[in-house]
Amino acid sequence: MSTLTLTRRRGLAVVGWLGPVARRLGSGLAVLWAAATAAYVSLLLVPGDTVDVLIGDGLDTPERRAQIIAEWGLDRSALRQYGDYLARLLHGDLGHSYILQRGVGDILASQIGPTVRLALTAALFGSVLALALALTTAGRRPWLGGLAGLSELVAVSVPPFLIGILLLAVFSFTLGWFPVSGDQGPVSLVLPAVALSLPICGVLGQVLREGLERALEEPFAVTARSRGITERRLVARHALRHALLPAVTLTGWFTGTLLGGAIIVESVFGRPGLGQVTLSAVTGKDMPVVMAVVLLSALVYVTVSTIVDLTYLAIDPRLRSSR
Amino acid sequence: MKARWGVLTLAGALALTACGAQTQAPAAAVGGSGGDGGSLTWAVETQPITFNPQQWGQNKARLLVHNQFDSLIARGRNGEFLPWLATSWEVSKDGLTYTFKLRDDVTFHDGEKFDAASVKANLDQFLVPGYNAAVAAIQLRNFGRAEATGTHTLKVTLKAPDGLFLDFLSSPYAGQVSPKSLKNAKDLKAGGVDVVGTGPFILDRFTPGQEVHYRRNPNYDWPPTGSAHQGPAYLSEVTYRFLPEAAVRVGALTSGQVQVIEGVPATEIGLIKADPRLRLETSLNSGSAFSYYFNVSHAPFDDRRVRKAFRDAVDVDTVLDSVYQGTAKRAWSIIGQGSPQFYDASLENTFGGNPARANKLLDEAGWDRRDAEGFRVKDGRRLTVRTVASAPFVRDRRDILAQAVQAAVKQSSGIDFQVRLVDQGTAQKAYDDDQYEVFENSRGDTDAGAALNLILPKGAAINRTHFESAELDGLLTKASASSDTAERRELYAKVQKLVADEALILPLYVPADQVAYGAGVTGLTFEPVSGTPNSAYDIRTGT
Repeated sequence: MSTLTLTRRRGLAVVGWLGPVARRLGSGLAVLWAAATAAYVSLLLVPGDTVDVLIGDGLDTPERRAQIIAEWGLDRSALRQYGDYLARLLHGDLGHSYILQRGVGDILASQIGPTVRLALTAALFGSVLALALALTTAGRRPWLGGLAGLSELVAVSVPPFLIGILLLAVFSFTLGWFPVSGDQGPVSLVLPAVALSLPICGVLGQVLREGLERALEEPFAVTARSRGITERRLVARHALRHALLPAVTLTGWFTGTLLGGAIIVESVFGRPGLGQVTLSAVTGKDMPVVMAVVLLSALVYVTVSTIVDLTYLAIDPRLRSSR
Repeated sequence: MKARWGVLTLAGALALTACGAQTQAPAAAVGGSGGDGGSLTWAVETQPITFNPQQWGQNKARLLVHNQFDSLIARGRNGEFLPWLATSWEVSKDGLTYTFKLRDDVTFHDGEKFDAASVKANLDQFLVPGYNAAVAAIQLRNFGRAEATGTHTLKVTLKAPDGLFLDFLSSPYAGQVSPKSLKNAKDLKAGGVDVVGTGPFILDRFTPGQEVHYRRNPNYDWPPTGSAHQGPAYLSEVTYRFLPEAAVRVGALTSGQVQVIEGVPATEIGLIKADPRLRLETSLNSGSAFSYYFNVSHAPFDDRRVRKAFRDAVDVDTVLDSVYQGTAKRAWSIIGQGSPQFYDASLENTFGGNPARANKLLDEAGWDRRDAEGFRVKDGRRLTVRTVASAPFVRDRRDILAQAVQAAVKQSSGIDFQVRLVDQGTAQKAYDDDQYEVFENSRGDTDAGAALNLILPKGAAINRTHFESAELDGLLTKASASSDTAERRELYAKVQKLVADEALILPLYVPADQVAYGAGVTGLTFEPVSGTPNSAYDIRTGT
């Protein structure tokens, strides 16, 4: 094969990717725009004067009112206000919390680190464990699969709150292996990440195992076996690719579970993070912060599902040319 | 046989690790007690909304305030006022002028001098619109002006006599903030490292959701009268960790990861008492008892007979026993037993817990039929009363308590008591729209009169009973203006009697603070009047 044909094939591959990528990025942006608009509309729909809503429980002085009117352009037409708001968001300006008297961007930035660390670690734990569980139990003796299925069911149905307390009782209070509280180094991350990852592991493990078992009954598996391939190789090299697709579809749900679960897990383990910020913003009627959290969740969601969609393309080449 | 050995080995291993944990724990609990006085970790239930003492509003945050800030006046065991940053004071005959002599050796954490000008700056700060509208309108409603008549002499003029003014000056609200930080603080209302005081500890680190850390103020030499020692605090540092889950707090204590916990749930009290390495102390809070207030503005509680019937339908002792396992102190009046100077003990056993009388009263009031589910009805309407509780303020398992009351009134008298746990906005809306019949509340004011002033008079800030009585308002006004404790006691006895006669409330229990700590901790005390845990000033770890 000459260099020329190689280059041309690569070029073709890039062209094949271009359309789907552009489409997905476009729809991602549309979702973000919709989320921003929904947040804005909800601000207008909350009963009471918009200035009152924005101040929340914060300092209420004539100067501050004037500042809010200027900041949000509340003396201009509704359409102009909305346009200004979108323009500010495009510049990365999330507004100002009048209760905490700080920029919302600052508040989220200072708290996002611990939550991201927790969520990523939990995602990693959950996927690795699910994968290991599925690979070791799929297509083996039925009782093994049954046992795995049962533990997955337990992992899914026990709330992270209870899992957290149980983990603490055993590994922190009794054995003393892990500290109870805070964001102090990798050791303090283990238990909260496990608590958050178990429900994910449960669902993911189930889907993966069923996918694997279905794939192992497909004609291609029979063909492969007839060529004398070992069962382990068959699972790892051929069946896994088929089982992965439905599992990847779950990633959106996965993200939601991580974000929602983080609020509870952060509170049980006394960890800093976005969960605490969200909780106190909602209870304290801190509207600018609530709006920013809505946007941030939408952004995370869009990013993850875009990556997932693109991963599909990588896993299954047929999707690239299908549309 | 094999299996049994396995189980035995496992049990043995668990027992060993359990022993290991037990032998380790005391060592950890006394750990850190070096020559410098040691360090302490204290797990608390609630993260303060603000560290600015003048914005303080959560009784549960009180134990943090006086680490960082000193007030002008302290309280003694019998409620008397004692010198602190103010060494003495004189009140003019007409009760309008207060002259304070201040300490001249006090310095703020930022190096600013504490003097009459700084106290004036602190008092004037409350007049800034919106700084703390509630305090300006209530505790300081009679405040006229403050003037520095000398470097360390301050004259305060009131617009009207106010028996609660000194109580205000002994509260966290009078925590003295450096005038420099009043002007320049980045987050004045939220407080934190740049809103500084003169206290025995310096707040140097706050991680929201995790902990707040204080280090010793080496120059401290002005503790309130009544402290166990003089000079700087014993501890070189103290960390308060926020652990909202009770089971987690208890586990952290028994495993020696923290040395003190606040907020011990009733279910764990037995366990802690049985553990020789741990101590438990309880202190009743001052202020009003936790009570159900009846909204008299519409049916069915506009009828006094129905209010009385609800009070009689509940056997409070049984309910408290089942929810708090005998650890809660039953309340008998709107003022709790934690405010002994004003509590009227003659009300005890004069009402309540009488289902027969409750049923008779309801029959008389016309609620004499029952529907298919056994609830009483009148004119086709069920005898339904609703409570809305704002979730962030639910403590002490009050949601469970409400369910127990719900079961009790249904069973004994066929009352349909509906409990809704909602967010603060929804609760506020229900109050604004008068869509509730029961309002749950307790207040931890050091002067119980402050609580009564907020709840009882016509148009008061949280008069959610909508009860109006010229006689009641007169008694309260008279009591507020007086600084004669005996006279106030007599007036408040009449108030309590009136509230009981009108069956305006169902008193349930007296809120208390429980603190548990490892054997190595000493010097942990409660504030004599508020009943909440003291600052860490007198605490030591180790022997």
